[in-house]
Amino acid sequence: MWDNRCKIAVSGVGYSKVSRMADIPLAAHALEAVKGAVADSGLEMSDIDGLATYPELPATGHAEVDGISIVSVNCMMAMLKLPALTWHIQVGTTNIGGAVQQAVNALLAGVCKYAVVWRAMHNPRGTYQNLPGAQAQGATQFTAPYGFGGPGQGMAVAYTRWLERNGQSRDKMATLAVTQRKHTQHNPHAYFYGTPLTREDYFASRMVAHPFCLFDCDIPVQGAVAIVLTAADRARDLKPTPAYIAGYGQRLHFETAGRIGSLSSYMEGGSSSAKLTWERSGFSPKDVDVAQIYDGFSASVIYGLESYGFCKEGEALDFIQDGRIELDGELPLNTFGGSLGTGRIHGLWHIIEGALQASGRAGSRQVKDANVSFVGASAPIVTGTTFIFVREPY
Amino acid sequence: MSDWSKVTRPIPVPNEWTKPFWDAAKRGVLELQRCQSCGHFQHPPYATCVQCMGIDLKFEPVRGDGAIYAYTIMYHTGDKRFASAVPYASIVVELDEAPGALLAGNLLEAEYTEAKVGRRVEVIFEPLTNDITLPQFRLAR
Ligand SMILES: [Zn+2]
Repeated sequence: MWDNRCKIAVSGVGYSKVSRMADIPLAAHALEAVKGAVADSGLEMSDIDGLATYPELPATGHAEVDGISIVSVNCMMAMLKLPALTWHIQVGTTNIGGAVQQAVNALLAGVCKYAVVWRAMHNPRGTYQNLPGAQAQGATQFTAPYGFGGPGQGMAVAYTRWLERNGQSRDKMATLAVTQRKHTQHNPHAYFYGTPLTREDYFASRMVAHPFCLFDCDIPVQGAVAIVLTAADRARDLKPTPAYIAGYGQRLHFETAGRIGSLSSYMEGGSSSAKLTWERSGFSPKDVDVAQIYDGFSASVIYGLESYGFCKEGEALDFIQDGRIELDGELPLNTFGGSLGTGRIHGLWHIIEGALQASGRAGSRQVKDANVSFVGASAPIVTGTTFIFVREPY
Repeated sequence: MSDWSKVTRPIPVPNEWTKPFWDAAKRGVLELQRCQSCGHFQHPPYATCVQCMGIDLKFEPVRGDGAIYAYTIMYHTGDKRFASAVPYASIVVELDEAPGALLAGNLLEAEYTEAKVGRRVEVIFEPLTNDITLPQFRLAR
């Protein structure tokens, strides 16, 4: 087990308004989320001395303009002018979960006391994947000429392999989409709060990239979320009940640029990250009371459930049936609605929900007696990370 | 059948790693990068052998027979260059002689509904420009 388990905790969390398009710059969303997280902690902005983010703009082919389409650490520093600032970082080999892990490491090292991590996501006008013109450079020279590059195709190819090798039907995925939308109705910050979804809606929706229909894809939105992390003893003096970080991991499987559709890479990425997390925390999948698993595209949940060890390979779509992932089920899953419910904010919202469930702060969607709270943030293949939060330090 | 006649495919731009692949395709030959130390084929080309760290890599011909490893049927028309062909099958092929080296392609000369994981395919060549010919796939004959 990890010597540093439960030494760092998530305290406050914050959200901006989430909308399809916005009239204010992305920096304003990030600021709103960060202010919210600091206020939720009961801290003053002047207490914050650490900053971390993953600023990537996942919509391809659009200009990266700091403050408009991304919000870098530099942008946040310029806005906040923190008098106590002692540490900051932007990560690249992992998605936002890596920024959270670096903040944990900085707090353990004692180089800052109160770190803020945010993820801000821009939805450009026009086509989300603004594909390049007449030429295919770099890794895309082997994929773009064949019409690979639209929404979800990279995920969709692995999904067809999973379905057909395991003799499974995409119809079973309706349960995930409908259950998560039900959970969304307990999350007023979510894009689809107030908009229910039925099985009939799922089956009637248009196909995007087979096997994905519209409701297998998270909707691009503009918005930001943020968290405050601090050492356990400091967290206990703050307003919210702390969510202690019992362990974390990151994917170790490497992937060569331009290789496409490898189901085994998703599985190896996920299992390498989860293995670290189980070993560090001392828990195993059967100990988990509630799980958040990244769902930018629905099939990510399959790869997550199987590679993290919650069920056997080929069984994830059967595993999610019969009420198992409901709020009172055996493994309540994506209890905040997931990205399919909140809109596309990548993995930090999964981390927020994992922390809220562990600290008993999830309101009407709180899972009863939740102690061990698992998070798989981001798709396991390339940028995935995993976490365990607990209510009771051990 | 998907109508490819009005599709404007992006033209691959060979670089120092990939030029031999495209030069061979122009001659109607499928060549993949092979490690001269351990014999491993890999695609896309990479700076070192991903199996043994070998740096002696050469392009060698492979037979264009393989199976569909995975596929997707594209319905979304956001990419206007391909909009006239939807629905169409974009496939990933694993060649018999190069396990683990996954090649993208389209399933040509067949209904898109014929794309299935494990189905046998063979390479064909689709000239794009004077300089670039695309390896593509059809059902094995
Ligand atoms: Zn080798």
